[in-house]
Amino acid sequence: MKRSGTPYFFIAPALLHLVVFGFLPIMFALWVSFFDWKILKGTMPFVGLGKYQELMNDPGFGNALLNSAKYALVSVPTGMAVAVLVALLASDQIRAAGLFRTVYYIPAVCSTVAISMLWIYVYLPENGLINATTALFGLKSVDFLNEQGWAMPALAFMSVWVGLGPRMIIYVAGILGIPPSLYEAAELDGARGWRRFWSVTWPMLAPTNLFVLVTGTIAAFQLFTPVYMMTRGGPLDSTDVLGYHIYVESWKKFHVSNASAQSFLLLVVIGVLAAVQFKLAKRQLEGYSAG
Amino acid sequence: MTRREALAWLAALGAVPLGCREFESSSVALRLANWGGAGDDSDYYRLVKQIYREFEAAHPGVILKVEGVPGSQEYVTKVLLDHVAGAMPDVMALDASSGAVFIDNGTLMDLAPFVEKDKAFSLGDYFPNVVDIARRDKAIYAIPTDFTPMVVYCNAAHFREAGVAVPTGRWSFDDFLSAAQRLTRQGRYGFEFANWMPGWVMFLWNNGSDVLSPDGSRATGILDGPRSVEAVQYLADLVLKHRVAPSLSQAAATGVDLFATGKASMKVVGHWYLASLAAFKDLDPHEIVVVELPTNLPQSVTVMYEAGQAISKNCRHPEVAWEFLKFWASQGVQSRYNQSGIAVCARKDVAEASLKGEPSKVAREEAFLRIVPSARSPWGASVEGYDRVEEFGQKAMDDILKNGVPVQAALSKAAAAIDKEFALR
Repeated sequence: MKRSGTPYFFIAPALLHLVVFGFLPIMFALWVSFFDWKILKGTMPFVGLGKYQELMNDPGFGNALLNSAKYALVSVPTGMAVAVLVALLASDQIRAAGLFRTVYYIPAVCSTVAISMLWIYVYLPENGLINATTALFGLKSVDFLNEQGWAMPALAFMSVWVGLGPRMIIYVAGILGIPPSLYEAAELDGARGWRRFWSVTWPMLAPTNLFVLVTGTIAAFQLFTPVYMMTRGGPLDSTDVLGYHIYVESWKKFHVSNASAQSFLLLVVIGVLAAVQFKLAKRQLEGYSAG
Repeated sequence: MTRREALAWLAALGAVPLGCREFESSSVALRLANWGGAGDDSDYYRLVKQIYREFEAAHPGVILKVEGVPGSQEYVTKVLLDHVAGAMPDVMALDASSGAVFIDNGTLMDLAPFVEKDKAFSLGDYFPNVVDIARRDKAIYAIPTDFTPMVVYCNAAHFREAGVAVPTGRWSFDDFLSAAQRLTRQGRYGFEFANWMPGWVMFLWNNGSDVLSPDGSRATGILDGPRSVEAVQYLADLVLKHRVAPSLSQAAATGVDLFATGKASMKVVGHWYLASLAAFKDLDPHEIVVVELPTNLPQSVTVMYEAGQAISKNCRHPEVAWEFLKFWASQGVQSRYNQSGIAVCARKDVAEASLKGEPSKVAREEAFLRIVPSARSPWGASVEGYDRVEEFGQKAMDDILKNGVPVQAALSKAAAAIDKEFALR
């Protein structure tokens, strides 16, 4: 069959956008990472893999990597668990299920800057929503965003709330896609409640879990805006995550080559994590059948 | 429509862009970078906009395109990136604290030739050490607008209540501690301390030490030297040992300005604070007294944070830009601009003219002017990337006050990190 050029015509704008604003800048950043570009002075000597070697001995980068890992370890599983729970409630044939889904989705369509500002007020030491509420029970005020032990959990907690809508919608789709015959068979075998969830719903959500886990982990390692708005990497670098660290390296210190090298290491980290997650989920996916 | 009419219409339509081009070629668009967001509608920004419009009215054909950038650090980043992209604004507001990064990277035009040529302008009208902030040998990179030395604000009513005399001249670290102890009582601290390095670095200076070596090249042996450790230990003791200042989390937990709300009796801050204090109705402005910083040296020394106007090196209309700088720095404009009360005017005549009116106000303004000759420029005016030094300093203070890290260890760690950062420049 003769293929016409029409499909290529239709994908050309998107492809062009991807190449110009995605692929080319990535390749440019890779190229920059092999030089020591002093952007303000205009000098650019070639250093090969020197910037990558520097990173191996950079405690700041190591700390940022660790912080990102901590954030992902807390925010992704918690976010998934809460989203599954809400999706189970919202996928039932309850009245106004659509309204609930819409309400839970609203944070996802709001500006992250606006949401961060809102949460700054929620976390304020004395007059914030949380502290004002806990004060009613005589609890001591906590300066969530300025105390080393609290700042990262505070950011993770906020991310669970922000990410709830999109995750919930994906889980609702996954739950509604489970064949009713499986539930009928489980019911005949006497499975109810928790057993029904654990033996039918959860295994059948394996592809959904994998998707949410991979995209959630990637997003967690790219965290930037809430850190920029709420903690600026503090207190004492406890929320200095990779996305923010790279920003500071590039646009505060103007070490653009270091930032480029860090960006590529971040790409490698995310790639390895995604590969590991796919590998671990492979066995579960092999046994999966929605048909 | 006849053919003739159609041709006439076409000719008229063609003349529109031609006419526009004619207008464009005779007009000059001057891009100005200044702090502040687009949505800011305070009295101060209304006045600034009014002054811009007056310049345009006085210079037909010149259009000012103002680019407001919110946030002080974002401002520096944005204008530097404009420079890298070859699109730096023609004129920029230059803060002394970030002067070095602009001057030492060759982004600004030397204004000395304009100053020498223009007989209507004299640098003698300005406080000399304020002018020197943007000077490199014979080159001048900014015309100062205003500045503020950092001072100690005292609540005179609290001092009277505690039977403590408000200092009138030099006072030592011991005098300051003694006053703070006597001023501290239930629900009130003698001193409000904030971990903002531009507000506490002078304590190092007043103990005969510093942050960096005289050439600004290293911090080890200076920031972590014995006299620096002593000064920072003194500050830490105010909070942790003597409890005359709230802990950082206590201060944050109150969520209010302690001095302005009568919960603290002393605070180290600049002239701009006077403008914000006007909003606190419970604080009697007559009771606000400013005094020099305590010192262990024969004479107190403080820092002078300054702002001025500079012209970018690649400015397309330097003559027009110079006209704007002259207009902005003129006595007429500065007399009005200075009424905002944010800072002390860099022009001696305007600053001295402010010594009129209500006695407590005059006393405060006199106190600021008395300090000027001995005030230093900030390190950021001569050391590129000094904002990073301040970040390390603040982290060290956080470590000391929040995590109980010994002063020597925290400062040594900060000094080593600063030197490492400098090595990468």
